[in-house]
This record gives sequence, C-alpha cells and structure tokens, in this order.
Amino acid sequence: MTLTETRRQAPPAVVATDLTKVYGQGDTRVHALRGVNVSFATGAFTAIMGPSGSGKSTLMHCLAGLDAATSGTVHIGDVELTGLSDRQLTLLRRERIGFIFQAFNLLPTLTAEQNIRLPLDISARQADQQLFDRVIETVGLKDRLSHRPTELSGGQQQRVAVARALISKPQVIFADEPTGNLDSRSGAEVLSFLRTSVRELGQTIVMVTHDPMAASYADRVVFLRDGELVTEVTAPTPQTVLDTLVRLEA
Amino acid sequence: MLKTALAGLRAHRLRLLLTALAITLGVGFIAGTFVLNDTVEAGFAQRVTADAGKVAVAVLPGQADGVLPEEVLERVRAVPGVSEAQGLVRGAAPVLGKNGKTFGNAPTTALSVISGPLDRTDVVAGTGPGTDDGAAVLDENTARAQGFRLGDTISVLDAKQAAHSFKLVGLIDTGVDQMLAYTGAVGFTPATAQRMTGAKGYAEIDVAGSGAGLKQAVAAAVGGSYTVKTGAELADDLAKAAGVETRMFTLGLLMFGLVAMLVAALVIYNTFNILVAQRTREMALLRCIGATRGQVFGSILLESSVVGLLASVLGLLTGYGLAALTLTVLASLDAPLPTDAAIALTPATTGIGLAVGLVVTVGAALLPARSATRVPPIAALRSQPEEQTFRTGLVRGGFAALFLVAGLGTTAAGVFVMQAGEPVSLFVVMAGGALTFLAVLILGPVLVRPLSALVGWIPRRLFGVPGRLAVDNSGRNPRRAATTTVALTIGVTLMTLISVVTASTRLTMTAKLDEQFPVDYLLASQQQEAVVPRSVAEELRGRPELSSVAQIREVRAAVAGQRLDVGTFSGHVEPYVVSGSMRGLGAGQAALDRATAGRLGVRVGDAVALRTKRAGTVSLKVVALLDGNETSLPPVTVAERAFESYFGAVPDSRVMVTIKDGVAEERARAVVDAAAAPYPMVQVSSSTEVRGQFDETLDMLLMIITGLLGLAILISLLGIANTLSLSVHERTRESALLRALGLTRPQLRRMLSVEALVLGLIGALVGVVLGVAFGWAAMRAMLDGARFSVPLGQIALFVVLSGAAGVLAAVLPARRAARASIVGSLATG
Repeated sequence: MTLTETRRQAPPAVVATDLTKVYGQGDTRVHALRGVNVSFATGAFTAIMGPSGSGKSTLMHCLAGLDAATSGTVHIGDVELTGLSDRQLTLLRRERIGFIFQAFNLLPTLTAEQNIRLPLDISARQADQQLFDRVIETVGLKDRLSHRPTELSGGQQQRVAVARALISKPQVIFADEPTGNLDSRSGAEVLSFLRTSVRELGQTIVMVTHDPMAASYADRVVFLRDGELVTEVTAPTPQTVLDTLVRLEA
Repeated sequence: MLKTALAGLRAHRLRLLLTALAITLGVGFIAGTFVLNDTVEAGFAQRVTADAGKVAVAVLPGQADGVLPEEVLERVRAVPGVSEAQGLVRGAAPVLGKNGKTFGNAPTTALSVISGPLDRTDVVAGTGPGTDDGAAVLDENTARAQGFRLGDTISVLDAKQAAHSFKLVGLIDTGVDQMLAYTGAVGFTPATAQRMTGAKGYAEIDVAGSGAGLKQAVAAAVGGSYTVKTGAELADDLAKAAGVETRMFTLGLLMFGLVAMLVAALVIYNTFNILVAQRTREMALLRCIGATRGQVFGSILLESSVVGLLASVLGLLTGYGLAALTLTVLASLDAPLPTDAAIALTPATTGIGLAVGLVVTVGAALLPARSATRVPPIAALRSQPEEQTFRTGLVRGGFAALFLVAGLGTTAAGVFVMQAGEPVSLFVVMAGGALTFLAVLILGPVLVRPLSALVGWIPRRLFGVPGRLAVDNSGRNPRRAATTTVALTIGVTLMTLISVVTASTRLTMTAKLDEQFPVDYLLASQQQEAVVPRSVAEELRGRPELSSVAQIREVRAAVAGQRLDVGTFSGHVEPYVVSGSMRGLGAGQAALDRATAGRLGVRVGDAVALRTKRAGTVSLKVVALLDGNETSLPPVTVAERAFESYFGAVPDSRVMVTIKDGVAEERARAVVDAAAAPYPMVQVSSSTEVRGQFDETLDMLLMIITGLLGLAILISLLGIANTLSLSVHERTRESALLRALGLTRPQLRRMLSVEALVLGLIGALVGVVLGVAFGWAAMRAMLDGARFSVPLGQIALFVVLSGAAGVLAAVLPARRAARASIVGSLATG
C-alpha cells in the first residue's frame, strides 16, 4: 500500500457532528455555527474558507478545544472534546494539537529554538532529535536558532511557528490565517512548508484562510456561509476556489 | 480633551485603584499623625484652660530651681484687689513601695493640696487631705502600680530620709504635667508638704482676685526678681511645655509618613509609566486626529490630579479613622496624654493632606506624561506594541558612578575619618546612605537582569517551564522591574538597618556590661546621690559570698569654675587610663575623664582649681586621663584620703558588688538585699535585671519601628501587585498563546507567582545588602568601639517575608490571567 492509500483508510483525525455555537442571549443572540457536520482526514491538508462572519474562526476554535460549542460533538481521534474539563482540554491540546496563529505566535523572551521546543518543555517530553533536525532543515532556520523573535523577519517568525507546531508530532495542526500578515513570497514559503509536512511527514493540517491562493495549497477546501457548511472543493486551484467564493457571495 | 481624559479615567478605574490606595495609605498616615497631634494638643489646652480660669495671677520664681519665700506671699496678700493668695509647695518626697524601698528612677514629687477656690487638684477618687496632716493623696498610676488602695497606710521619706506614715484618702489625676506623670505625685496639706520636702519656700503663688491691672499691682508688690503671669499666660506656658513631647513624637511619625509617601510616589510613577506605554496607540490616535503634545501632556496630568485628589480625600478619612483608633488604644493603655478632646480634622490638616497627596501624585506622573508626548502619530498604525528595549546609557552610567562615589566617599568619611559618637558623624553617614541609595536607584534597571538571574536560579530549576518563563519575564522590562522593586527595597533597607543597629547595640552594650562593669549588683539611690551609708559596704566586705565590693563617692563641686562631679573610690575599680598614670594617686592629684578634660582644655601635667568645702580652693595636678565611656569612676577622681579632707565623711553614692565564684545567685542576692534593707533609699539592681530592661526597651523600639515601616512595605506590595496586573494585561495574548500550547491554568498562575517572587526577592536582596552595610556604618559612626552584629535570623525572615508578600501580591492578577478566555484574549490587540 502506498502512503496515500494508508491515509484514506485511516479514521479521520477530526470529526464534528451537529456543531452549533450561539453567542449572547435574547435579542442579541448570534448563531455563529448552525449544525456543522464535517470531518478532516488524517494526513490531509484541509482549508476552511468563507466570507467574513461565516463562522470559520469559530469552527476552528471549537474544533481545537479553545472554545466550547453550544451543542454537538467534536472528536479528535478517539477523544470526544465535549464535556472535558479545562485541565483535560489543556492536556489534550498539549499532546495532540499544534497551533499556528496569524500573528503573535512566539514568546518574545525566548529564542527561536526555545520557542520551537516550548510545547515539549511544557509537557516535559524529550524532543525527537532526528525530527528536530529534519524540521529545522525543512523550514530553513538552522542559523537563526539563537535569535529572538524581534531579530527575525515576519516570514522567519511564521516559519518558527510552523516548526514549533510540527515538533510535538500532534494529531492535527490548526492554522488560523497563517499567512495573513506576510508578503506573498514569505506566505508562499510558509504554505509550501505546510504542504511538504503533510506529504512527507504525514501531518494532518486544518487551515482557516480567506485567501484563495493560500487555500489552493490544500488537498481539500470546505466552504462555510452564515454558520453552515455549504460546499467543498477537492484538489483546488486558485481559480476554482475563487469561482466557488464568487458563487457563494452572490 | 477634558472629556477624553475623564473617559480614560473611568475606563481604567480598576487599574488606578491600587495606585489610589497607595496614596490613600500615605496621606492617611500623615493626616492621622496631624489629627492625633491636634487632638492631644487640644486636650492639653482644654485642661490647662479649665485650671487657669481659677487663677487670676501667678507668681513664679525668677530661676528654674528657685523658690518664693513666705514674705513674698505676705506681700501678695496685701495687694488691694487680691481676694486670696496661696503658696504651692513642690519637692521630692520618695514614697516607699510595699517592700519598704523607693521605686522608679526618680523620687516621687510631693505637692501641697490647698483648699478653697484656688484648688487645682483633680481628685478622681476619695477626697483631698483637707486639713488632716496625717492624710495623703497619690496619683492614680502610682497607686495602681504599687498596689495601694484608699484607706491603706503609705510610707513616705522626708528630706532627711526618715519615713513617715500617712493614710491614703484620695487619688488624683496629674493632668498634663509631664514631670508629675514621670515621677508620680503624692499630695499633703501645705504644712505637711513643707515639712516633708523641707522646702524653704513656695514653687508658685496663685492669686485670686479681680480688678484691672492686678498683674501689674502684684508685680510691683513682689519686685523684679520674680516672674508674674496672668492665668491665661500660665495656661499657655503649661500647654506649650506639655506639647513639646507631643510635637517630637509627631515629627518622628512624620518621618515614617515621608518614607511611605516616597514609596507611594515610586508606585505611582510606575503605574502611570505602564499606563502610558499601554495606551501608546490611544495617544498616537489622539495625535493623528489633531491633539497637540500639550494636550496629551495635560490629559495625563489631569488624570493624575483627579486620582491624587480622590485618593487624598479618602486618605484624610483614613487618617481620621486611624487617629480615632490610636486614641482609643492610648486611652485604654492609660497613656499620660489627654485622649478625651473632640477629634478634629482641622483646615490645616486637610490642606496639608490634600496638598501632599496631590503634589506627590502629579509630581510622580510628570515624567510619564512627558514620555506620552513623545509618542509619534504613526504609532497608531503599528499593529503591535514594541517590546521595550533598554540599554545602559553613558549618562546613566556616569550619574550612577558619580552618586556611588559621592555616597560611598561620604559614608567612608563619616565612618573612618570623623570622630565616632558625635552626632555629626551619624548625619554624614546618613547623607552618604541617601546618595548611595540614589546611585542604586539609577543603577536599578542595570542590576535587575543579573539579579533576577541570581535569585531566579532556584525557581528556574524547581518550577520547570513556568519557572523559566517567569524568571525571564521578571527581567524583561528592567526599568519597570527596577522601580517596582526599589519601592520594596526602601522598606527592607530601613528594616534591615534598624535590626542591624539594634542587634549591634545589644551586643555592644552587653559586652560593655560584661567587660567594663564586672559587677553583679549595684547599690545606689534613685538619683545616685550620696546616701548609701558606708556601713553597708563594710558589712558586705565581710561576707564570704562576695568576692569584691567597691565604693564610689561623689559630690558636686566647682572645678576650674565649672560645676562637676568630683569623687573618689574605695576597693578595686578599673580606671581605663588613656594617658598618664593612676599609680600612687595622692593628695593634690586628680584623674579626669577624657571628655571632661577636653571641655576644660587641660592635659596631663596641667593643674585645675577645685573649690572644696573644708580645705578652701586647692590646686589639683592632672596625672591621668580616663576613658569615660568605659570606666565607672567619676569625671574628676581624687584619692580617697584627699577627698575626705576636702569634703568630709560623705556617704557612698554607689556600691558595686561581685559574687564569689560558685556561690548561688539567690544566696548572694539575699545577702545584698539584707544589707540594704534598713535603708529605703538604697535600691539594689542586678546586672541581669539591667540587661533585661535594656533588652526589653530595645525589643520594644524595634517592634514599634518595624510596625511603622510596615506601612511603607505594604505600599510597595501594592506596587508589585499593580505592576504585575498591568503586565498581565499587557501580556494577555502571550498568556493565551501559552494556554493554547498546553500550559494549564495552575501553571500559568504559578508562572506569575514566581515572577512576583523573583521581584520580591530582588527588592529584598538589595535592601538587605544596603541595610547591613549602612547599619554597620551607622553603628561605627554612632558609638566608639561599637561591635557589629548581623541578626541573620531576622534578616532571613525579611527576605522570606518579602518573597512571600510578592507571591501574595500576585494572587489576584494571576487569577485574572488564568481565568481569561483563550479565544477572547487571542483576538485582542
């Protein structure tokens, strides 16, 4: 069996069932998610897209256990998130989830290497030195390891964030607009690292973005509108993504 | 712009609350001190005014210890318009305690209690002596302390030390007279008072009467050598005399208030600095839409004045409450102070309180306000506040070096060059300390990183990732951390200094008592007058329980025109010769203590004239100079036989006794007590007792000062809490990131606690170093031959408490940080 085939047969990394999220009460009630059913395949790079206010960030926060859904369930692997205490959720994030945010990904007091090792340090795990070397090689940060974030460019900072997310071999990495703050060249670099890590390391990545170009790096794109999953595109290109978006906005 | 400032104030009211609290506490302390002072003075004034109403005119002796003869009273009585005139007797008449001995450090003061309209005695229980010459009244405190009740028989010594018995018929309140509060008072009929004190006249003549010009008439009748005052003038004088101690006390308290305000100023400075840094974008936006630098500056100052004003008003109320509380406590402790006057917040107190609070707050906000004006409008567009960087500037280094050199130099001059024991040396050391502290203040930001690495060494290893992050965070903004910790450093420095000085004083004194005072018992009267019969020493000399008995005799006599204590000794007394020799001290020779010789301007080999009672004026050749701090010999010591020929068979002033080795202390004590028993004036004190009293006094002093400094420490803790909560606010996104990456809530809380711990320890460490160094310097400057002792236990306690207090200060900010929602926090900024 090829790697791809193995992945198709593996159970999905993240599954959301009938997920709803309601903010506020009474007149100010806002339905951010209205019964979302979606699953993310292991070893795949999935993008979540949608217009502003479509609920894509809320979906990601609920999937990652950062925010509690109003109803419905979320599974990360075989663990159901609903009903977990804050402590259990924290431990789950520590063990199974990696994060890449749009900005402010790094602790300013730590060097690049300390930032990368931070998730392992927090959970008192030893770094897999081989994996570490390979990740560093992949993101091309070898000579920047002792620098502090203020001494790195925006693209370098995001690459450190990618390396940090990869180093703990999480079950899934959630990326929230990882290229939102970057120029197009640095953005393209970061996105190809993400794609490489999916292809070569078998990493599962879920990325929220509003940029069709970024979404085109994914294996599959799911589209949200007004808190509902409306459509999806597999093997996307910038053009197919853009066309779908235009259709959605109409 | 006014609206913006006020809106900002409302938005930040929680953050400014701690700042306001710092000011409130400081102003409260200062205002409370003033309220206390005013109330006590008002109480004094009330009492003396009530008394003064009875007296139209008072005649007083021209000199401090002079008296008014009987014939002056007669002359006053003859003045037209005088309806009544009474002489008041006042003099020493030691009351004997139940053990038949005098008590206290001074003989009881005897008063005449007159009857009629001029009676000013405040009888609180029983009656006055009336016309009963066998009756007496005592002041309440003495009666309570000695366990006397109405109807008891008390013994009182007359001027010739003969005991007389009286029936205790009443208790009196000594009122505002501080002298009576100290010595205690016993009141008799005028005739008995005169007989008991042996007074040759009156201490005061009170006159009742009417008519204009009564004072002039009385003054004309008594002549120019006496002072004549109206009742009101007398009251004024009494109130002033009583208020002197209150004012000294007030001044002392104000010093602590000043320290508290200094610490509060640092806290405010830091708070506004952080607030300005956090509102960079807000400021920049204001500048973008057209606000001038002046307007930005003004808005910060306005904000600080509102905070200062509100906090000061609260402070005044706090002060009022504190004063009321203190007065209640004082009243329940029966302090010799009037505590019953209405507690008043005078306009002056209000003015001073508000002014101090306002000036300190606005003054501390000036620099932050200026830095707010430097925010360029473009900063509004930056997405993220820049991490504050800090570099050691050349100017900073230069100033720090300047102050350090000046401070250490001044201190060294005070310690090594100047004469120890002179007040000026201590002042020089204090000035050196202040300069050095300024240097530390300037150097603070430079010191923070290495110090946080030092004190963070253990937490870094003990607390894993949270510990490591905490230690890094503590040194992250050195300027902020330095100001926060310096506030604590002030308190810890002063605490350490005081405890080092106390411990060193204790050690020095104990050593002196041990070495230079190798006596176990001292027999002497309250005032160490020459009243111990020689037979006492002779009897003791024959006792096998004792190893040595030495006698000292002293009289006051004119030496080279000055009245000095001239004396001699019998038995072995260590002289501590500085120069010359005591060997074969004979007639016509004298040994002087060094200080006395200095005052007289004489050296070994010079001669001084001594006016004697029996031998006229004799010339004494100075053969030796003694160390007066060490020896127990009189300032001018002559040979025993020579002394006798000059002054006659004077009784001993002091008898010093040592126990023979191997004899139980109780047995020796019984022997000494038995020898002294027949003589009520002779008090026996043991060196252990003296040491115990001395220790108690020191402990008490240490406790009071520590309590007063506690306020400054409390304010500095508010500062730590404030800085931390502002930093937590600043790092909201960072904390959220850590939480997203898997840091649990307890770990996040621990991280902030450790950061506070490190800050607290840095403050304490610097404080301990400064406190020990300047405690040593102060000791050296204060006392010649001082020994140095560092109370390690106490200092360790200060450090531990500072760390614990820091952790305590972090509780609330840490809770808030841990509770924040991750998603919400990630979105902010």
